[in-house]
Amino acid sequence: MTTIREEMWKTKGILFNFAITDLKIRYRNSILGVLWSLVEPLLLLGVLFVVFSTMFRFEIPNFPIYLLLGIICWNFFKNGTTFALNSLTNRSALITQIYFPRAIPGLSAGITASIMIIFELVVLGIFMIAFGFSPPSTVILLIPILALQLLLILGVSLPLSVLNVKYKDTEFIWSVVVHAGFFLTPIFYQFDMMPDYVQNVLQYSPMVQIVTMAHHVVLYGTLPSINSVLYAVGSISAITVIGYLIFRKFQAKVVEEM
Amino acid sequence: MSEYAVSVKHLSKKFTLYHEKRDSIYESATSWFQKKRHNETLQALDDVSFNVKHGEIFGIIGRNGGGKTTLLRIISKIYSGDSGSVDVKGTIIPVLALGLGFHPELTAITNIYQSSILLGFKKEEIEKRIGDIIEYAELEKFADTKIKNFSAGMQMRLAFATSVLVDPDILLLDEVFAVGDVAFQKKCFDTIMSFKKRGKAIIFVSHDMTPIKNFCDRVMFLKDGKVGNIGSPEESVSAYIEYLSKKK
Repeated sequence: MTTIREEMWKTKGILFNFAITDLKIRYRNSILGVLWSLVEPLLLLGVLFVVFSTMFRFEIPNFPIYLLLGIICWNFFKNGTTFALNSLTNRSALITQIYFPRAIPGLSAGITASIMIIFELVVLGIFMIAFGFSPPSTVILLIPILALQLLLILGVSLPLSVLNVKYKDTEFIWSVVVHAGFFLTPIFYQFDMMPDYVQNVLQYSPMVQIVTMAHHVVLYGTLPSINSVLYAVGSISAITVIGYLIFRKFQAKVVEEM
Repeated sequence: MSEYAVSVKHLSKKFTLYHEKRDSIYESATSWFQKKRHNETLQALDDVSFNVKHGEIFGIIGRNGGGKTTLLRIISKIYSGDSGSVDVKGTIIPVLALGLGFHPELTAITNIYQSSILLGFKKEEIEKRIGDIIEYAELEKFADTKIKNFSAGMQMRLAFATSVLVDPDILLLDEVFAVGDVAFQKKCFDTIMSFKKRGKAIIFVSHDMTPIKNFCDRVMFLKDGKVGNIGSPEESVSAYIEYLSKKK
């Protein structure tokens, strides 16, 4: 374990290099370029807003901001994990030519997603100004919440990156998980709209807790409940530890499967 | 110990080969239910030992699939061996036939940065040398061109230029002259000889016996993963040719 960490430290410069080149490659030959990363969540926001405020008449205060915040948090998770999923397979040429720690592509995917969420948060700020919404002082707590979410993303990303090399099925299974997760997370509804028995199960989902906590600190100016914090920290640490163990088991042989 | 730049002892490596030769849907379905294993193991390297001294050009010859590239990959840590040990003194750069793992969608300059950082160099050091690298590769006009628009020879030139100008202690060359033109080949040979003079070790893999005979100090013939012969270039090359004629 120490050797993995030492190697990581030596090649840390490449983490950001990978993250930046990933963004460049992603938006190559496109006119809007990196702006696409903003257009996509905004379009989703538009659709969800029309459907749920006019057709279903949800009455959630500050609904556009509520929606956008949820979409941004969810996108952070979706982007980070799906970038990581293909991070090793996309670099097969490099990996079979030069040795470097196998964790780097998966971790740099988390950095790529972090760069993207910063842009999205700026858009959220613009929305707040446009709707005349002044956030409470607890908004500052969004930073540790997103940091905790980054830990979750990295914990899921590392095993996904190596598993996808060995079993191509990982990619298809993960896309189902991400789709289902979007509906099972309180992004366009409030968690207490769910029946109790559903709430009892879903409260173990780290993303449910992350999004709920984000709503609390940004919209209501209340501290997240101690339960939320415990559930989130507990489930995320468990996922990260298991994820790291899976990664460690597969990482040595991963090149030979390419 | 320290007189050797690379020291390989009793190195073995096995690969699992998966065969997916199923002729019908029925067959593939039944084989799945029977859990029949469609694989066998391939002994890519079998108890290989050799040493390379500083200032030596060490050639490796053998048939396709004879374990040459696997051996270079283990020396450069891309693969890990099953048993045995590999000792390397100093920085090492593997230049395999396909370049340095360049990304087709990135420009020459970006790729040089990416590869050199991965090889353990600092950004400032690369910045100082990047002009020289492009000049050596004779690619001044193409510095900002994406690698996907490069010819195989241009990619090889860029890879070779990058690896010699970051000045490693050990250079692994796998079929690097297969795609370069004559003028560039000459330049490469001159560079390799100057490396040798400065006491650096070079491991050189080729199917072309002329450079092997002309440049190498010692040559190892890998015979289906085993050491067939280690000795003077003439000795190993004739052992290899004899083996080939027997096979026929």
